[in-house]
Amino acid sequence: MDVQLLENSAEGLLQKKTLLATLLFVSSEAIFFACLIAAYVYYASSSPAGPNAQKVLDPLKTGFYTACLLSSSLTVFFAERAQRKRKPGLSRWLAATMGLGAIFLYGEMHEYHRLLNENVTISRNLFGSTYYTLTGFHALHVTIGLILLGIMLVISLKKKMFKPQQSALECISYYWHFVDVVWVAVFSVVYLWSTQ
Amino acid sequence: MSEVSVLPLPMRELRDFEEKNTLLSWLSSCDHKQLGILYLLTALGFFIIGGCEALFMRIQLAVPSNHFLKPEAYDQLFTLHGTTMIFLVVVPTLLGLSMYLVPLMIGARDVAFPRLNALGYWLLLFGGVFLYTSIFFGNAPDMGWFSYAPLSEKPYSSLPGVDFWALGLFSIGIGTLASGINLIVTVFTMRAPGVTMKRLPLFAWMTMVNSFLIVFALPALNASLAMLLIDRGLHARFFTPDTGGSPILWQHFFWSFGHPEVYIMVLPAFGIISEVVPVFSRQPIFGYGFVAASTVAIALLSFAVWAHHMFAVGLGHAMDIFFAFGSMLIAVPTGIKIFNWVFTMWNGSIRFTTAMKFATAFLVEFTVGGLSGVIFAVVPMDWQLTDTYVIVAHIHYVLFGGTMFAIFAGVYYWWPKMSGRMLSERLGTWHFWTTVLGFNLTFFVQHMLGVAGMTRRVWTYPAMPHWGLLNMISTLGAFLLAGSTVLLFWNMLRSRRHGHIAGPNPWEAWTLEWATSSPPPLYNFAQIPPVHGPRPLWDLHHPDQQDRYLNK
Amino acid sequence: MALTMTTEASKAIQHAATFPVFTPHSDYARSIAGLSAGVLWTTLGILLLVMGLVSYAVHKFREKPGASTPKPVYGNVKLEIAYTLSFIVILGVISVFSIRAMESSDPPTHQENSLLIVAHQWWWEVRYPGTDIVTANEIHIPVNQPQQVGLRSADVIHDFWVPELGRKMDIIPGIENRSWFAADVPGTYLGACAEYCGQEHAWMRIRVIAQTPEDFARWEQEQLVVPATPTDGDAARGAQDFQQLSCASCHTIRGTAANERIGPDLTHVASRQTIAAGRLENTPGNLAKWLLEPDLVKPGCKMPNLHLPREQLNSLVAYLETLK
Repeated sequence: MDVQLLENSAEGLLQKKTLLATLLFVSSEAIFFACLIAAYVYYASSSPAGPNAQKVLDPLKTGFYTACLLSSSLTVFFAERAQRKRKPGLSRWLAATMGLGAIFLYGEMHEYHRLLNENVTISRNLFGSTYYTLTGFHALHVTIGLILLGIMLVISLKKKMFKPQQSALECISYYWHFVDVVWVAVFSVVYLWSTQ
Repeated sequence: MSEVSVLPLPMRELRDFEEKNTLLSWLSSCDHKQLGILYLLTALGFFIIGGCEALFMRIQLAVPSNHFLKPEAYDQLFTLHGTTMIFLVVVPTLLGLSMYLVPLMIGARDVAFPRLNALGYWLLLFGGVFLYTSIFFGNAPDMGWFSYAPLSEKPYSSLPGVDFWALGLFSIGIGTLASGINLIVTVFTMRAPGVTMKRLPLFAWMTMVNSFLIVFALPALNASLAMLLIDRGLHARFFTPDTGGSPILWQHFFWSFGHPEVYIMVLPAFGIISEVVPVFSRQPIFGYGFVAASTVAIALLSFAVWAHHMFAVGLGHAMDIFFAFGSMLIAVPTGIKIFNWVFTMWNGSIRFTTAMKFATAFLVEFTVGGLSGVIFAVVPMDWQLTDTYVIVAHIHYVLFGGTMFAIFAGVYYWWPKMSGRMLSERLGTWHFWTTVLGFNLTFFVQHMLGVAGMTRRVWTYPAMPHWGLLNMISTLGAFLLAGSTVLLFWNMLRSRRHGHIAGPNPWEAWTLEWATSSPPPLYNFAQIPPVHGPRPLWDLHHPDQQDRYLNK
Repeated sequence: MALTMTTEASKAIQHAATFPVFTPHSDYARSIAGLSAGVLWTTLGILLLVMGLVSYAVHKFREKPGASTPKPVYGNVKLEIAYTLSFIVILGVISVFSIRAMESSDPPTHQENSLLIVAHQWWWEVRYPGTDIVTANEIHIPVNQPQQVGLRSADVIHDFWVPELGRKMDIIPGIENRSWFAADVPGTYLGACAEYCGQEHAWMRIRVIAQTPEDFARWEQEQLVVPATPTDGDAARGAQDFQQLSCASCHTIRGTAANERIGPDLTHVASRQTIAAGRLENTPGNLAKWLLEPDLVKPGCKMPNLHLPREQLNSLVAYLETLK
């Protein structure tokens, strides 16, 4: 009987596996956010009494922080490309991504602080409940992304990244893009649509 | 056509390879077979707990105006029973079987992410234990397993039972999600050469489709739980009507998860039947393509029918008709499978092993449950019968007469593979007949109780005509059913010491899990046979009669 | 505390229909029952077909000793398409009849309710719009007059269901749902809350009493009468106790200072067949049991146990018995 020894393609397999897993995970999270957005839209349409998006939100200022977050998608793309093509700059681009993400989070916290000072809390009314839940979970996902990016940054400062870490970076960058896409949806619904 | 292929040895994982059998090796295992068995054992434990909960409920309901249990106790029991059976018994059993079998069926060494597999299991166990610790904090959840608002909100449920339920389910849900992702990636990327998607054994195919349901349905549960916890803990207003919240929104969100969940509980069972019936009929599955395609149809449609749980809410005829239409439609791919399985037996040479007995009984019991489901898709009938014992009968016919019977078939079928020993066919026959009798006694009369006007989730009832008699029959049936389960456990225990040695393929089956020893070695396969169709071992042993359907 | 079955089983229960879903007493319920019969026969036919095929296969294709491996059969696309299409057609036909029955059993509603029911944990507040009549748990209607009932909840989700008279309808807090029912023949029709609403969901029972127009008119007159407060004997003491104890902080008795809606309106409590939403037959003995230990009669109910001494208990019962 012929015995055929297959090529050792474990590394290619790893990349395929982790990418598919990340895409599935991200799809699942997309549904999660879709539910929270649906709750926001449902209650915004019924015009709750008390503070609402139109009265208390500032699309312009948040627009600036949004621009930072969206640029961080670009920087993480450059980071991933640098690593893929073995060009220098990986750590630099990772740091830039983290910086922009951190600015976004700062902006978010600033917004929360201002709103809480105006007594717009999660229990104040349905705007408060849906706004904080939706943006809060998004901020949580951004924070987790920053932690993951931070780990990759530390690894990238060593001389060489092994294959598993390279595919990890690719997956994290997809996660980061997802976090940005969710923010585009949230920003459009909360700051652009419901402020009308 | 006599070449054999060898799987590449993974680079690092099996370097220090030694088969251990200590407690620590089991608790720290990342091997899909050991984790599969852990899933199954955990489900078994919760099955006993959930079953005892049911028995207590049936004792309380045996006679009218009974005072065996206080209403608070009864309410906690029925909530825990539903939650346990769904999240801690049926789903873990099916996941456990999938984790054990799918890598073997596709000729892989393990799942795509062995450590994630372990994480999924431990999150499940943790969630289940956490749920039950609520008892020690004075209040197990008592608002029903689907936890309608505002009953689940404060002030109506001011004790922490609901929070234990929600947090426990969070953990269980995330574990299940991880397992779902793991199974999809495994089937997509780890198939041995020759195992194309169109040659997957139907159990593996249905597991894969089922895992997509998990990936897209569980997040709706997580979102619902998050909003409920935020309402309760941070005094938000999502579902509290006094402050503008909508109880109906809870129902929409929950059932967006809840309906796909019931298909999550049934698709792998269909997979088991699709393996067992052909092997014991000595015929390939009748209409492999139809069965595989109908599974995808069910999965897609299952996201479009959730509000058939809400026909009595008063959503308006347009909404009701839309969801009724989808519910009728989803009955089609579900129903035609029954015919495919029956026609698999046609012109076969049927061996009525215990596994085949259960699979055959499944065909009838699941048809009863499925047809009562169709009845509920007829909106005006739902308007009379929903929230009565007809619903209780329906869910138990599909989940016990359906899924559980399929699981029993799977246990008798794959126990030799997993343990290396056969179960006793004599004890199996006793188990089978007492189960069929006990099950139908318990639940058939519940159809009549519902039509007699008995609503569900009642801790007691007045002495309406024949309600006492019908309930007593149901209670006696439940005890018979409990006794029959004891027979199964005894069979399993006995087999460990006295069961006949199984050998690699005691059933003369055809899929790859039977191409290795029983139990398989840690590395699953030393060699796997060439794969040119869904039944590699058939093709191997019948070179002149190889399966010639679907593109090779 | 021996609450025997005969105490609770009033005549209405003893003579209740065995299968009320199939003993319709209104056009609404009739259209559902008619549809149900057709659907059930159809599904029975499908079940018998499956059972027949399985039985046949089990007998005909059982393994015979010495048999060789059967020739593989992979499928029959024409047959599969045939049974798929047949199933679709059957379901399509059922759907058409279903939609028709939806329209006839649940016609559109309008602004004017003839009844307003507010569901509470665990009793029914019943109001007759356009009149001052307020009662609890027991609904009187004239025969052959369709009733549009407005359904509201004071707390959690409930469901109003009297199977012989119409569909069930959820009662969602924050929304008023509306539903139709009627009765064609005088009698007592039994129903229950059909959505789990907490601890005593089981004892939130409904009684609809359909009367001839004359009897109903008489009932209405009786309900509109404001009962005189008794002036002597036990009943007078009971009337005083009612106001002084915390009874008046939850209940209404018209003609007195008691004017709360937390618990049922008791103005004509002695005229009802049951108390505690169907938990007990309405007799003086049961009324005493209820007042003495509501937490034992209906555990979890909102009525507190006031630990009434015997004498106060007796005078309260004497007073309540005058409220016919």
